[in-house]
Amino acid sequence: MIRVVPLRTGLALLALIAAAGCATKVERLDESKAVDLSGAWNDTDSRLVSEEMIRDSLSRAWLQEFRGRPGQTRPAVIVGEVRNMSHEHINVATFTLEMERALINSGKVDFVATKDERKGVREERKDQDLNARGDTRNPMGRELGADFMLTGTINTIVDPSGDTQVRFYQVNMTLISLADNRKVWVGQKDIRKLVTRSKLRF
Amino acid sequence: MLGAAACLAGLAGCATFSETIQSTEASLARHQPGAALAAYEKRSSASADRVLDLMNKGMLQRMVGDFDRSTRTLEEAKGLTDELRALSLREQSLSFAINDASKSFIGEDFEQVMVHTYIALNYLEQGQLDPARVEALQIDLLLREKAQRAPDSPYVEDAFARYLTGIIYEDQREWSDAMIAYRKAYEAYQKQLERFGVAIPETLKHDLVRLADRMGLAEEAAGYRKAFGISTTPSEEGLLERGEIILTVHAGLAPIKREQAITVLNPATGRFLRLALPQYRPRGQPLAYARVSAGSQSATTSRVENIDAIAVKSLESEMPAITARAIARMAIKDAAARAASSSDNRSLGGPIAGLAINIAATLAERADTRSWFTLPGEIHLARLSLPPGEYKLRIDLYGRGEGVLDSSELRVALRSGEKKYVSRHWVPNNLEVRP
Repeated sequence: MIRVVPLRTGLALLALIAAAGCATKVERLDESKAVDLSGAWNDTDSRLVSEEMIRDSLSRAWLQEFRGRPGQTRPAVIVGEVRNMSHEHINVATFTLEMERALINSGKVDFVATKDERKGVREERKDQDLNARGDTRNPMGRELGADFMLTGTINTIVDPSGDTQVRFYQVNMTLISLADNRKVWVGQKDIRKLVTRSKLRF
Repeated sequence: MLGAAACLAGLAGCATFSETIQSTEASLARHQPGAALAAYEKRSSASADRVLDLMNKGMLQRMVGDFDRSTRTLEEAKGLTDELRALSLREQSLSFAINDASKSFIGEDFEQVMVHTYIALNYLEQGQLDPARVEALQIDLLLREKAQRAPDSPYVEDAFARYLTGIIYEDQREWSDAMIAYRKAYEAYQKQLERFGVAIPETLKHDLVRLADRMGLAEEAAGYRKAFGISTTPSEEGLLERGEIILTVHAGLAPIKREQAITVLNPATGRFLRLALPQYRPRGQPLAYARVSAGSQSATTSRVENIDAIAVKSLESEMPAITARAIARMAIKDAAARAASSSDNRSLGGPIAGLAINIAATLAERADTRSWFTLPGEIHLARLSLPPGEYKLRIDLYGRGEGVLDSSELRVALRSGEKKYVSRHWVPNNLEVRP
């Protein structure tokens, strides 16, 4: 009997260790801390690109020039297509949204809803027309037309050699004047990464 | 010792992979991909087979028509393959103690390229061109890497994957990239004609002429015209005024690996020796060609990929290494049994332990028969240019004896300049399924 007890305790301990090993571990990370796991495009790249683009776009001449026009205070911008031409599946929505947020919050630029968003808003307005009280009704045909359209591309060049790769990302954003197709601002941000694949695993 | 031997036998299990998929195969032969998927998901599988399971599931989900889930599954397989590419010393030593199937499956080179190809096709059939282009770039990267790593392997280029990337670039109006991809596909078809038996597809010939014209490469275009005997072909501009149907037919199933094994009793030592090796058993590929028609206009498919032959040749080139490992393993296992039986000669424990290890090691010696068996045996492709409008497409599959194997219809609407990608998976009823 005496011998059985330590065995049981041992088994219980083993089970405990095994259970501890299996538990999901979560560690909160600071948003600004760069964590690179696979070498693929991640939130850090997205943030770096949007920060650079916002800083650059707000400090350029097009904004001053627009404000200088009679009767104009803030340009209205619409987000067009940002195309992913890279070799990775990248969610471009995250950094276009981040740019949109920062630009709106800067108070220097107005953003108008995109094509898809407008559809929903128009439906709502139609509904208001029928069902809302007269003094709260928003009439149709009074939308703010955009002055500029923001478009962009993400491109990559990958140079692989064995287990090592150099990945070069180039993000281009362009602001096009809707009145005359003039490109008023072109922003560019490059990111270079050296990715070395592990040769050994467990 | 006995415990260790029992452990060994337990770990290895007693069935090879190809013996566990019969009900999936049978459902596919009955044209019930949904039932095949359910059967496949029901079987228990080892953690070393994760990638293989994802590949098979992804393909079955595609056959059911669930492109979103298929893409997610295959994308997971892709990521896991990347992680598993690193060498695991633990698995290496395990593979010497048990068998090759205890190593994590990451697929042959051609299977890895096929993962990208099918993700690209999933996106194309959903009308998402940009993500398909991402896969095209990844295919290019992967093939470049493989050519660097093993330039002498029988499979360094994937002609169809190259051709598909060309089609994607052309659809994106990236003429020079399309031209380069078409050229690479042409080169690969020429080089691999003898090995894989796939002639240059008729459509590719016209694509080369059209793109060379579009790029203003008069000399190259004239060369293609002469080589292929093409006098007239629609220009790129002409093609863009119309819409186009691009049909891929995925016919049959890839060959399946079977185990070839011999077990002998060594009279000198009284111990068993066993050698088990994988061998591909090609399945018959009864599809000759397919025809897609819309009213009076029709196009016939050409064979663009012979996965059957690629799989067989790939295994052939690896057979020396697989055999060497199997022989080394046989020697190691025999040495272990001998050491166990002679370790303690005073009692009967030694010989019994030796016998137990010998039996367990012999039972565990199974061939690695894992392969992406839900891949088709062959892929066929046709391009049909049509004026904008609504169509009822008819797809007829013809057998080697000219009889119609299968017919189906679907409705499509085409705008000018639009390309619609449609596909058809077809598995013959008389598929060889093990009882």
